[in-house]
Amino acid sequence: MTAATSMELPYGMTSYTDGRPDEKALVVAAQRGVSEAFAQLVRLHQRRAYAVCRAIVLTHEDAEDAVQEGFLHAFKALDRFLPDQPFGAWLYRIMANASLDLVRRRKVRDADELPEAIPMPFRDPGESDELRRRLNLALTKLTDRQRSVIVLHDVEGFTHGEIGEMLGIPEGTARSDLHHARASLRKILKDVRSDL
Amino acid sequence: MSDFRLFSSDDDEVVRGLRSLYAAPAGDAYWNELEARIMARVSDVELGWWTELERWVRPALVAAAALLLTAGIAMFRAHQDESDMAVETMLTSPSVPVSTAIRPSLDNDRETRIRYLFGCTNQEPSCSAQNSKR
Repeated sequence: MTAATSMELPYGMTSYTDGRPDEKALVVAAQRGVSEAFAQLVRLHQRRAYAVCRAIVLTHEDAEDAVQEGFLHAFKALDRFLPDQPFGAWLYRIMANASLDLVRRRKVRDADELPEAIPMPFRDPGESDELRRRLNLALTKLTDRQRSVIVLHDVEGFTHGEIGEMLGIPEGTARSDLHHARASLRKILKDVRSDL
Repeated sequence: MSDFRLFSSDDDEVVRGLRSLYAAPAGDAYWNELEARIMARVSDVELGWWTELERWVRPALVAAAALLLTAGIAMFRAHQDESDMAVETMLTSPSVPVSTAIRPSLDNDRETRIRYLFGCTNQEPSCSAQNSKR
């Protein structure tokens, strides 16, 4: 059993939940303007937030931008958040929206500036083996949404319902996107296996 | 979290590939730095004059709405008072008697009749002409 530790928050609030600061207390404190409480929320959620953004945008740099934008939006909208609701779900929805906005902006910019350029979405200087190279290529054949769904599900472990909520699509659509994404990947990568 | 996986064990390699492609940066230094960047941006928002402005937008809107409502009620009451006063003045003021407006037409009518009647008895040319026509 994990020992509970406590955390002192301003306004006489003490918070502890099995060694982790109580999220609800942090949210309430952050809503009252305690920036340390918001910093704690950032610390708690930034890795997962990054994963959500990374699944939607094309590069690590864009994911970083989206995470920062997302936390900024969350901070501005914090007074409208009801502390009884799950903070993570609310935050990841904001992250997904920030990422989708960024993808849209990039598309508009690319269409304006480089109409004939084919984006190379995944920059991974360390990739060496053929499978990863082909995997990269295969992922570019998927639609943005299919790619996001397969990464959020298979890499990050989100459920169809959570993915649907984040991306603003019905759960059934998320399920079908995942099915099609896997079918496409299997088809493309089948040739790789036979080559390897 | 994940409810089920459609990939077979043959596809584990693909999942591993995906995970390595989408791996989050390792090391606390990176995350500390990202947190610092996020909090710096948040501080900018906190300190900005627009935050103070945003804080006052709602109360200002409520105050403006209340002011408009009060002004509307005041205008309505003023208008109603004016109407009441006008009616009251009209009903109570003795300067212009109600009969004055009606009397002339009645008088004219009666006078015409009297003239007609008396005109015929007097030997006036107009009267004789009328009699001759009859």
